[in-house]
Amino acid sequence: MSLVRRSLVYYWRTNLAVILGVATAVAVLSGALLVGDSVRASLRDLVLSRLGRTQAVVTSAQFFREQLAAEAPGAAPLIVMQGVVTNEKDGRREYKVAVYGVDDRFFKFNGYTQPAPSGNDAQLSPALARDLGAQAGDSILLRVEKPSAIPRESLQGRKEDSGRTLRLTASTDGPEFALQPSQGDISAIYVSLRRLQRDLAQPSRVNTLLLQSGQFQKEKVTLDDLGIKIRALPYDLSIETASAVMSDALVAKVEEAAGANAAPVFSYVANAIRIGDREVPYSIVTGIGQEDGISLDDWAAKDLNAKLGDEVTLDYYFWEPSGSLVTRNAQLKLTKILPMTGIAVDRDLTPEYPGITEAQSISDWDPPFPVDLKKVRPKDEEYWKKYRTAPKAFVSLTAAQKLWGSRFGKVTSVRVSGSNSADFARKLRALIDPQALGMAIVEPRAQALKQAEGSTDFGEYFTYFSFFLVVSALLLTGLFFQLGIGQRLREIGTLRAVGFPASKIRWLFVAEGFLLSIAGVVVGSIGAVVYAAFLLYGLKTWWRGAVGTGLLTLHVSADSLAGGGIAGVVIALVCVLATLRSLKRSSPRELLSGNRATEENPRHGTRWLRILAALSIVSAMALVGAAFSHSVPDAGAFFGAGTLLLIGAIFFEWARLRGVNGMVSSVVKLGVRNVGYRPGRSVLVIALISSAVFLVVALDAFRRPPVAVSDPHSGTGGFPFAAESELPIFWDLNTPAGRDNLNLSAVKDAKFFAFRLRPGEDASCLNLYEPRTPRVLGASRAFLDLNRFSFTEAIAKSENPWLLLDADPQDGAIPAIADANSITYVLHHKVGDVFDAGGVKVKLVAALDDSVFQSELIVSEKNFTRVFPNEQGFRYFLIDGAPSIAAPLNDALSDYGFDVISTPERLAAYHRVENTYLSTFQALGGLGLLLGTLGLGAVLLRNVMERRKELALLRAVGYRPEHLRTMVIAENAYLLIAGTVTGTASALVAILPAFLQRGGHPPNPSLALLLLAVPVAGMAASLIAVRMVARAPLLETLRAE
Amino acid sequence: MPELLEAKNLSKSYETPRGPLSILNGVTLSLESGDAISIIGPSGTGKSTLLYILGALEPPTSGEVTLDGRNPFTLSDKDVSAFRNQEVGFVFQDHCLLPQCTVLENVLIPTMVGTRDAEVEQRAKKLLDQVGLSHRLDHRPAELSGGEKQRVAIARAMIRGPKMLLCDEPTGNLDRHTATQVADLLLEMNRASKTILIVVTHSAELAGRFPKMYELVEGQLVAK
Repeated sequence: MSLVRRSLVYYWRTNLAVILGVATAVAVLSGALLVGDSVRASLRDLVLSRLGRTQAVVTSAQFFREQLAAEAPGAAPLIVMQGVVTNEKDGRREYKVAVYGVDDRFFKFNGYTQPAPSGNDAQLSPALARDLGAQAGDSILLRVEKPSAIPRESLQGRKEDSGRTLRLTASTDGPEFALQPSQGDISAIYVSLRRLQRDLAQPSRVNTLLLQSGQFQKEKVTLDDLGIKIRALPYDLSIETASAVMSDALVAKVEEAAGANAAPVFSYVANAIRIGDREVPYSIVTGIGQEDGISLDDWAAKDLNAKLGDEVTLDYYFWEPSGSLVTRNAQLKLTKILPMTGIAVDRDLTPEYPGITEAQSISDWDPPFPVDLKKVRPKDEEYWKKYRTAPKAFVSLTAAQKLWGSRFGKVTSVRVSGSNSADFARKLRALIDPQALGMAIVEPRAQALKQAEGSTDFGEYFTYFSFFLVVSALLLTGLFFQLGIGQRLREIGTLRAVGFPASKIRWLFVAEGFLLSIAGVVVGSIGAVVYAAFLLYGLKTWWRGAVGTGLLTLHVSADSLAGGGIAGVVIALVCVLATLRSLKRSSPRELLSGNRATEENPRHGTRWLRILAALSIVSAMALVGAAFSHSVPDAGAFFGAGTLLLIGAIFFEWARLRGVNGMVSSVVKLGVRNVGYRPGRSVLVIALISSAVFLVVALDAFRRPPVAVSDPHSGTGGFPFAAESELPIFWDLNTPAGRDNLNLSAVKDAKFFAFRLRPGEDASCLNLYEPRTPRVLGASRAFLDLNRFSFTEAIAKSENPWLLLDADPQDGAIPAIADANSITYVLHHKVGDVFDAGGVKVKLVAALDDSVFQSELIVSEKNFTRVFPNEQGFRYFLIDGAPSIAAPLNDALSDYGFDVISTPERLAAYHRVENTYLSTFQALGGLGLLLGTLGLGAVLLRNVMERRKELALLRAVGYRPEHLRTMVIAENAYLLIAGTVTGTASALVAILPAFLQRGGHPPNPSLALLLLAVPVAGMAASLIAVRMVARAPLLETLRAE
Repeated sequence: MPELLEAKNLSKSYETPRGPLSILNGVTLSLESGDAISIIGPSGTGKSTLLYILGALEPPTSGEVTLDGRNPFTLSDKDVSAFRNQEVGFVFQDHCLLPQCTVLENVLIPTMVGTRDAEVEQRAKKLLDQVGLSHRLDHRPAELSGGEKQRVAIARAMIRGPKMLLCDEPTGNLDRHTATQVADLLLEMNRASKTILIVVTHSAELAGRFPKMYELVEGQLVAK
């Protein structure tokens, strides 16, 4: 140990270099891991700080009693929505703003110090204020969707007036609160809870509760909170909902509670009941029981002059899911005429329809569908006055459901006999789990932590990105260690001569190497923190495009430092052992003379190297040929060919260096010949430089070029525009009626493909958190039939993979398509996988190639409405039209928060992330390259040191110092040029298809700078070597004594 | 015949922590063209130092050296390099061949600086023929024996037709038989080219083969 200690001190200069080499490798490895830790920890901190003190959240699709908060200790009630905010001053508008209706309880709950907004106050989050250019006191407009209990996509739902605008006075001190994880800035507005309740016509009702613990007493939830009403009628109970339609799940529970006493009812408005040319306008028809045909009440039968057996026609409106109101009819045989008593005069069979049930006369109706009042006769008004919504006709429940049933439900109420209201309410409530009826209790903290953990692994990315840095650092470590050994050959020989066994000597050097690596790890760990801080700074500034946030902070984790440290020690010891192996062949006599084992004849093995080189080059040509004949994909073939060329060129160079090439007749040629002094060492340098150059140049091919909009198979699908609407649009924008209803007459020659949207987390690389509830789009059959965009793969061979979406669910999983990038890098799945996409099981059936659909999953509209029945209307659009349509569309649909975006721009936003990753890789690869160039300097130095005798001889025979300098520079230049040219040429072959695809655009200009930096750094390294040559006492080495 | 090599009162001392260490102390030597001498002496007596001073590789502390009337230590660095290149040939104990170059290239190494005539390659081949290596022109040093390597080194030293050939233990690394061959070769070259030949050696046997033999004793040359 004493020998080891003395050696460490005596050879401190070389040892310091070894330590620095190990330290660099450790710093880069641990630093990369620290970046991963820091990103994860920052995301975790970010989401936790934004959640305030929220431990659990109760949310519901429908509004419930604010009072529920009082029944849950410490809970804060609030309304959570999404809206569009406009600064009235200049019209600047922000979409997808989180809207919170809050009061003191929210602020107290989270410990925020701001006073709660009241009246017309609106607190804007700092980011929203910045984006709107809003200052305190500015007047702003908030547009939100007005909740409607009645499904808007049903006949009774109101399609217009679906939003509400609030004029508010801004302050810019809103808190940074968010329930959904996002690394971006918070865009939120806080308004008075009372004010929002009033404007949304939801007095004392909210849709969210924040809880300070995960304990929520579900039994406190009442039927009213779930939108269930029990009306006590003279003989029965009528179980109804605020939506005027009951879900199948609820009907099942009511039937379970009532047993045989339940009678489901489905009432609907018929435009006309006709027999021949006689008709009764605007009547309620009720489906109940199982009786076939149709029954008319006596009033209607008389009016229609009907007799049993007549064919009765029902005309009725039906809201098509595609967004248009159509008139349909049905023919039924008259089977019964009911007297005007009992069920025939039961106005309670019809649920409450605002605008109809409360009207005093038919002429007072204000329904959400057109009514031709000219058809209403005085006798119809008289009937209304007397019987109101009592049905004039009855059909079987099955027939009614077949005619008018929708995804929202097939029953409007359930009649229950033989129970009193309170008992039945208790019984029913006990059977219902609120979560089955749309009330959700989630623990966002735990979920967000998982999402932060599952986020993009920057540690892994930066380990890859730093690959060449690590390799270069290790090369340096190995070289310096070898240099140290080289200095001590005589010492080793002496030890061998005095009887030290080779194993003992090896142990001494391993011990030294180990201690040096430990020192390197210590220094490297400090360097790792610096390197990680540097990379994080890069992520927040130059490479911000990759993360989309500046809110990243350094988190130092002992695990990562230990991981990088252990890896550093292991790799350094491998280097040491590899170096020591080369001494095995040397005899003590050779070592004592300061020489290694006589080099074997260098010409040996050149034949094999040439054969390998030829094989690689021939394979490369074959691949290029295959690409031209379209047997293999161009990109893969050319990249493979480029790689094979690189390998072939390196083998060829190796063989060349081992042989004799031409006659040395000048100092420059002598320098070039010196490259062959240690061919393995020189080839290592050439391989390192050429591989790094290859990678750096070839990576450029992966930069996404701008997309041609007109190509239907490009990432835009040939659609120049996409649009998102804050409020759902219910009308078909392609029909004259739809355009009329939306005041879109100014927008001509545009074709719309509307998608349904289940809002959710962004599934693209713009979101660093792992999306657990990704956005889902429902695509219409018309869109699927277009067969636009391109696919990278599909689960089954199909000319139009979109049609795979049309299949029915298998094992409960609905077919879905997503972008290949999102599938691989964000969702971490592959085509064929089945996974939960936020309460819905989906199966990935195909992957899109670099498309505008990177933020979502796409399913068929048919399956969408099946699994998301409550998501109504259309909120995502692809638009074919001239550039001039964007502005008028935005204007005409501003009430809907319609935001038209250019698809190439959307795609470019995704590409920016990828391109930024490539820039990062290139930058760090470039750094590795530069470090490798320093390695080249080390190789040169070592060559020079080993060849001092030769150099001395040259001086003795009349060479001047400048001759030696020329020789060393020529040697260095050869290595640099060989590495750079080999790497660049191979890379150019590899990227040829990409190069041609983007119309011959030259690679990124920064590449040229990088490639220029390599020779500059290399030359700098050679000048150092030259200096060493000039300073070395060469002639001393010639002495015999 | 005028003296070709004149060394007058050559002294050489080195600074050490214990004061100056004197190696040579007033060495004087005069040689004519075609002279061949050997210098013997125990290790550390300054044999190599004397040789290096005579070959303009190292300046004396005092004294003067002239070869054909030129004192190399008064020349510029550029000219002293040219002086060594043109006028002096060296053969070292370690052959100092460049392993990456062929035998022929190694012989041509001195011709790659300074003037170079068209016949230089022919001359190199002729020299290699003289040293018995005409069949090894394209071989690399790793493929040669120790004696062959030293013969290449002799050919290299003679390529410029020097006025003086200086050999520092030229047979030190060779077996007896090979050493004899190398000594024969040196003497043959000396006879053929009339070059001054100075050989420094430990070997009394080798030294005894030269017409004049000197011993370096306490920093001075003593004729034997």
